[in-house]
Order: sequence, then C-alpha cells, then structure tokens
Amino acid sequence: MGIETIDKDIRNTILELGGTDAYKCYQCGMCTALCPWFQIENVNFLVNLIPHNVKLGNILTSEIKEEIDKEVEELFRCVGCDNCLAYCPRGVNIGDIVRAIRRILVDYDSLPKNLKDIATKIFSTGNPQGDLVEKRNNWAKKLNLPTYSSELEYAYFACCIPAYDANIRKVAEATAMILQKANLSFGVVKEDVWCCCETIRNFGAEKVFQDIAHNNINALDKAQVRKLLVTSPHCYTTYKNEYPALGSNLEVFHTSQIFAQLIKDKRIIPTKAINKKVIYHDPCTLGRQNNIYDEPREVLKAIPQLELIEFENFNRKDSVCCGAGSGGLWLDWQKGERMSDLRVKQAVDNGAEILAVACPYCMIMFDDSVKTMNLNLEIKDISELLAESL
Amino acid sequence: MIGVLIEIRESQIKDITYEMLTLAHRLSTNQPQEIAALLLSDNAQPYLDSIKPYVHKIITVENEVLKNFNTQIYLPILTNIINETKPNLLLIASSGFGTDLAPYLATSLNLPLVTDIFDLELLPTHILTRRAMYGGKINADITTKSLPAVVTVRAGSFEKISKPINTSAEIIKMPFAIEPTILEISKFIEYGEVPTTGIDITKADILVAVGRGIKEQKNLEAIEKFAQDIGATLACTRPIIDAGWLPKDRQVGSSGKTVKPKLYIALGISGAFQHLSGMKNSETIIAVNKDPEAPIFSVAHYGVVGDLLKILPLLATKIKEMRG
Amino acid sequence: MDIIVCLKMVPDTSETEVRVDSTNKDILKVRLVYTTNEADNYALETALLLKEKHGGTVTLISLGTPQVDEILRMGLAKGADRAIRITDPLFEQIDAFTTAKVLATAIAQQKYDLILTGCIASDDGYSQIGPSIAAFLKIPSAAYVNQVKLIDNNRMKISRELEGGILERKELSLPALLTIQTGTNTPRYASIIGIKRASSKPLDVYDAAKLNLDQSKLIGLTELEQMYMPKVEAKAQFLSGADDEIATQLATIIKEKAGL
Repeated sequence: MGIETIDKDIRNTILELGGTDAYKCYQCGMCTALCPWFQIENVNFLVNLIPHNVKLGNILTSEIKEEIDKEVEELFRCVGCDNCLAYCPRGVNIGDIVRAIRRILVDYDSLPKNLKDIATKIFSTGNPQGDLVEKRNNWAKKLNLPTYSSELEYAYFACCIPAYDANIRKVAEATAMILQKANLSFGVVKEDVWCCCETIRNFGAEKVFQDIAHNNINALDKAQVRKLLVTSPHCYTTYKNEYPALGSNLEVFHTSQIFAQLIKDKRIIPTKAINKKVIYHDPCTLGRQNNIYDEPREVLKAIPQLELIEFENFNRKDSVCCGAGSGGLWLDWQKGERMSDLRVKQAVDNGAEILAVACPYCMIMFDDSVKTMNLNLEIKDISELLAESL
Repeated sequence: MIGVLIEIRESQIKDITYEMLTLAHRLSTNQPQEIAALLLSDNAQPYLDSIKPYVHKIITVENEVLKNFNTQIYLPILTNIINETKPNLLLIASSGFGTDLAPYLATSLNLPLVTDIFDLELLPTHILTRRAMYGGKINADITTKSLPAVVTVRAGSFEKISKPINTSAEIIKMPFAIEPTILEISKFIEYGEVPTTGIDITKADILVAVGRGIKEQKNLEAIEKFAQDIGATLACTRPIIDAGWLPKDRQVGSSGKTVKPKLYIALGISGAFQHLSGMKNSETIIAVNKDPEAPIFSVAHYGVVGDLLKILPLLATKIKEMRG
Repeated sequence: MDIIVCLKMVPDTSETEVRVDSTNKDILKVRLVYTTNEADNYALETALLLKEKHGGTVTLISLGTPQVDEILRMGLAKGADRAIRITDPLFEQIDAFTTAKVLATAIAQQKYDLILTGCIASDDGYSQIGPSIAAFLKIPSAAYVNQVKLIDNNRMKISRELEGGILERKELSLPALLTIQTGTNTPRYASIIGIKRASSKPLDVYDAAKLNLDQSKLIGLTELEQMYMPKVEAKAQFLSGADDEIATQLATIIKEKAGL
C-alpha cells in the first residue's frame, strides 16, 4: 500500500463534505485506544489512520476488489458513539470525517446492501421497517391516546422502533401509561412525521436525511407543536441539535427528563417495589452526546427496593456503545464482533439482574445478545420499570 | 391449433407439460381447435403414451442431438413446425428451458411473446394474458396485438391434466433438418448439481425456518426430516447461525437473505423485525410459536399457538398418512 | 475481450408497498428510489471479473431518461470503460420486443465479443430482453447463467441454473449473449479513486436518428392493458383444538400450499 503523491481531489472532496477536523489530528492514537472496537479481540480498527489518510487523500484509492471491499466495510464500522471525541486532546470529530467519506460512497451505491435497503425503506415509507405509513400510530389507537392538537402541551413521538416493532412496542405503551397517570397534557404526533433519520445521516444517506427532515419539520410546524417529547435519544439529538439548522424551532424533551420531573413534582409516585439489582446503561446519544446522565438514574432510584448499581469503569461518559449507531443496528457483525455482547457481559459481571436502557436501539441490541448468549439478564426500558412501579 | 412444447429433462416429462395441457384443453373448449404436442427428442416412442390421451396430434422430431434441450438447435426445428402448421398459440414452460428459448424464438419469428403468465384467454384476433410484476406485488393484463402468439406458462398455475380428451392422437413425424454449423455454436455438455454448501434459500419454493424456539440442536434432525418429506429447504434465524447449528447461507432476515417462497413455515420463531423484513412477503406463511403475542403472527396467514416439539411429530405423521 | 453490459434503472420496490396509479397502466411513482436492476449488478460484476482476467473493455448501455446517467456513472466508477445512454421520446412507451430491438441496434454499432444482461428485471419481471437481443443480432445466447469460463477467444464454457438445483453445462461460441443469474458473485463497491475517474470516462448519448430508427420500425407486438393489486389472504387465522386436530389442519394446509 502507501501512495507516492497526495491526491488533492480526494482530500479536498472529503474536506468539503465535512471532514475538516482531519487537520486537527496529531496522530496520538487516543481514538483507536478508546474505540469500543479496541475492546473486541478479533477487530483491529485503527481510527487514527482515518484523519491521517484523509490528509493524504489516501482513502479508497485501491483498485483491487478485495481491498476495496475490506476498506468500505471498515469505514462502516464506526458507530458514531463519540467516545473518541470525548477524550481527543485536539477535539477531532471522527464521526464527522467518517460521515463525509460515507456520503461520497452512498452517492455511488457503494455501501453495505443492508444499509442501502434501510435508506430506501425510510425514503419510501418513512420507517426503517418499510411498514405502512398509516400503521405508525396503531399502537396508540389501541390505547385510545389522543392525537396531538395545539391545545395540548406535549407532542409525543414514539420513534419508529417502538411504533412498528411488536417486541419494543411496550416502551411506548409504558410511556403513555405513565404520562396518563401523571395527567400530563399530551397527544401523539400524527403519522405524517416520519423517522428522524439521525442514523441514516450518520451512515451517509444525506439526501434522504434532508428530504425527510424537511418533511418532518413542516409536519410538526403545521400541527403547531411546541414541545416535542421523544422516547429515542436519536430523535432527541436530531430534533435538538440537527433540525434547528434546517429551520426547526422546538423545545425537545427526552422521556427520562419528563419522568424525573413528574416524580420530583410528585405527579407520579412509584409505590410498587422492584426488588432487583438494576444496572443502567447510558446510551451514547443521550449521555455523551447530550449530557443527560442523571435523570434516568433519578427515575430508577425513585422505585422502592430497586438497587441501582453502576458499570465499573464504564459508566456515564465512559459508557460502551451497544453498537447500533450509524447503521450498526442493521449491519451483521459476526459473533465475537458485537459490542452489545461485550456490554451485556459487563452487566452480568457487575452483578446485575436487570439491564435498564433508555434507548430503543440499545434495547434491540441487548435483547439479541442476551438471547444469543443465553444469559440470565433482563433488558428493560426505564419506562417499563417505572410503569411497573406505579 | 394450439401448440404445446413438451418439456423433457433427463428422459422425464416435466409436470409443467401436463399443466400446460390443462390450459390448452380449457382454451380449446372455449374456442374449438386442435391441440398439438410438439415433441423434440432423441426417441419419441417412450413419451407418446403419456401424452396421447390429452392431445389431437403429436408432432415429433427425432435426432440424437435433441436428447437434451438446446435453444440454438430447437430454433430452426420449431420455426419449421410453426411455418408448416400455423398454430394460433404456442405454449412453452416458464422454466430454465423455456426462459432460454421463448424470447429467442418469438423474436426470430417476429411473434408477440408474453412470459411467465398464470392465466390466459384466447380471443379471435389476439390473446389476453395475466402475469405478476414487481415481485408479485402487482398483477398485469397484457394483450398481444396479433396471432399467432407465444407465451411461457408459470409452473403451478394450472392443475395437471387428468381427463383424457382423445384416444387416437395422430402422430406426425417431421424431419430433422438443421445447418450442421449450429451444432458448433452451442453444445450441451452435461447436467450437474448445484453444490449443497451453496444452497440458495431465495430460490426455494418451500422453506421450513427454525428459530430459537427449537431449543436444542438435536431437535433439528426431526425438523430436517420433516422439511425433506414436504420438499422444503431448511432456513433459520440469526441465533441459530450464531449457535453454529446451521451454516450462514440459511439465514433469513435483514442481515441474511430476503426470501419470498410460496410457503414459509416458521417454527419457534418469535419474529424480530430483522427476521420479518426478510420473509414477510412470502406467499403463504404458517407460524408455530408458544407465545400468542409473538410478532411473527402479525405477518402469518396461519398461526398455531403451541409447543412445536409436540405438534411436529404429529404433523409429520399426518402428512405421511395423507400422501399414503 | 470486449464486453457490453446492459443496465436497467428500476424503482427499488423490494422493501416497499407498490400501488397502481390512476391510469391503471403504471405503478404510483411516489417516493421511490431508483437504482440499478439487481440482476444487472451481477452481470456487471461478471464483466469486470472477465476483464480483470482476460483484459479488454467493458461498455455499459442503458435505455432511459437522462436520469439513468446515475447508474451508468456508478458502473463507470466500479470499473467499466465507457457508457452509452439511449434516449429519445420515440423510445418512451415501447414494449419488450421493441426495447430489445433498440438495444440490439445500438449494440450492433459497437465492437463486442460478449453481451451480458441481468436474467430478470425486478420491475416487469419479463426475462425477455436478453435472449431477444441475441435473436436480433443472430448470436447464440444462454439465460440464467451462473458461471462463465473462457476456453479461448472463440469459445466459452458456461453453466446455468435450472429448477430443482440442477445445473446445465454447455459450450457456446463467441460472440454470444448471456443473462446472468443473481447471487452468482459479489458485486463490488466503487472505490473513491474509481468514482473520481468515472467523471472523465466517456458517456455518449444516442437518439433514434443515430440508430436509424423511426416510428415505423418501433411498432410493438404486445400491450399492457391494465395493472391491479393481487388478492391477498387475510392475516393470521389461528388454528385451534387439541394438538392432534391442529396437526391435521396444518397438514391439509401444507399439502395444498406445497402442492404435495
């Protein structure tokens, strides 16, 4: 390998698409050491080489099929957990650089087939399952929940996964039950608000992101939504941090924030005991990326008898990604190459009986790991635990 | 006249032939006309009795090189037959052979062709056909602007013919006459088997898929046997792959293969969305699972809530009984 | 070895609902993603592998609106040498027979040893264009090919897939046309250097005049009358009773659906 001259075209294209942070990097290697892949023995993912090669324009310059295939796959390894960014002495945003490269590849159909299918499904149907638009709120109709209208305070968006996936629906159901118990003024967002597209933007499908983001912003605007309440940290970060640049102007709340507030205000009082050791997993998107660490813990601590324990060395800012970010949810990493396996193992090693999550993506990943590894560990969303206790 | 191209592979008349004869019979009942079987083979004799009762004529061409199918050799022979006998309609199987031959033949003769039809009406000046598009999500009616027309017929669209129409079919021998150079252009070598390690579950008509609900590896044996009995291919969910019970090429789902068989039997599969997205468009889905709330039932056509390890042996016995 | 690969741009409907539009002659073209027909990707990969092994050129041909440049550029980025887009208002509503005629006419103007197409288009599902092109050009063809091996400059060995897991092996003389089966190889990704080079590779546009085709030569033989939704079975009918009764009901259903 190695190149003789710098390919300025490739370098400049990546810089233009958002990879300028490459120039901040001084190759200390901190990112490689902190990357969750580093903890997985079979994988050798050299994160620091990404900014290095961008500077040289040496990204995907091979013309040999096997080398291209391998490099493309490696470029889709990054799950955008930002653990590297949290500690980088130069503040290099690897996620931005990787996304810039992926944008080039996506435009040329050069991405894993699973991810291409997801982008297609989201573009056509508004959800990654490719399910019908009109089914989005079926879960809410069963519970006779009101549709949001402007006289209500909060508009609740359940995220595509609880809305369409029968295995995860319980998260939206528990949330609705809690909000009703608290007499919170809320309604469910109409079906014309689609996937937030955070994940697909991170894997490079920028055009689909732009298209649907505008659709969502207009739909929420038309419905006169002011306060948006979301279950998924991915929706949270997108509405809070990405959409404002596209003209959105909403107050955004993660359910854990509202739950904590409702408990504080004594609008709900957890009374039923849950006599279990519960470990809380900080989702990268909620914790590291949005500094919401305490509210989910406050919710859990309010439940009688529940013993909240912490991941030794790997909690809060140092939480280990479940592996679902940036398309990881749909990539098929071999057994022995799954971050979620690592994480559930840590939970068990710390003595947990229940692994509490606050993100539908984490729930899918951990559920899967617990089942494939045959572990004695329950995966529950904080909303489920809270609802049980009411 | 309606011509039906008899499909023979490895000295066996394929079932699709009898299905096409059912269609031909129906068409000739509505608009009386002769049915002619076109029989190209090395030796017609062994096949005649099986076809005779269902046709008015059998047009045979015999030669050693016709032992195995070959588009380039069939082409001049069928051209000759069509020119001589002027059929209104030629039925060809929508099979590995027919798909290879029909477009080539129709184009060479400037005849309209509709491929892979599952229904057909013969009208005085043209035909009206029905076929699927967009992977079966849409049906379309397609007409030809004229007759004669050629169609390829999708397997399983018609019952096999069973009622004889004729006992004295006329046998017409036509000469084998081709340019010898054709034999050099396209040569049959042999038949082989697709290696079993590379089983392609996307091509199977029937899949028996297993999930975590089968509990132990040793239960696979009985399920495999069951799949064999009903002519199905075995498929599975990701946990089965992870456990190393089946090879990766058997995995259905968004991280495996997307399948659309005629029949999908899901055993002990709860239905993670990754799995559902890979199989929900199957024509018929039967699901057996303990949990009545399992998402697999949201896409299944037939559901059984119960213990698959108890039901399966009973089912295997019933199927054996039914088949006698 | 000079290879021509025919590419078709199709809406990717494999994962989405499809509905019929108000004319009843087309699908509702709303929020569809257009992409290279799946089988054509395997044809392109077959061509690139042959080129890597034996040298020569790969030329892409696609009939459609200027939008098909997208898939042609993708093919060029993956390693094809040049591309031809065939666009003319006269070609907009033509049937399969006429489509094959237009493609064959364009191909006849090129130098070629081998023509590759996908075995089936995921939209219309005709499996017709490939062999039909071969008939217009009077060259041998084989459909649903899963292996290609060059014997010498004039002959090749191929195998194609028949029903029931049986392969048919045969020998064809060149020039020839093959329709390539899906799943026979792993279509490659484009590298960034390939993407960069693609922008300077030739992409020619042919119209009816260039092909000497006028209305009189474009008369189709078939017509699409209408499209409609197939009947769907109602969802999950639960079978009930004792295990033994359930097994009997199941066996009946399986027997019917599996055609035992």
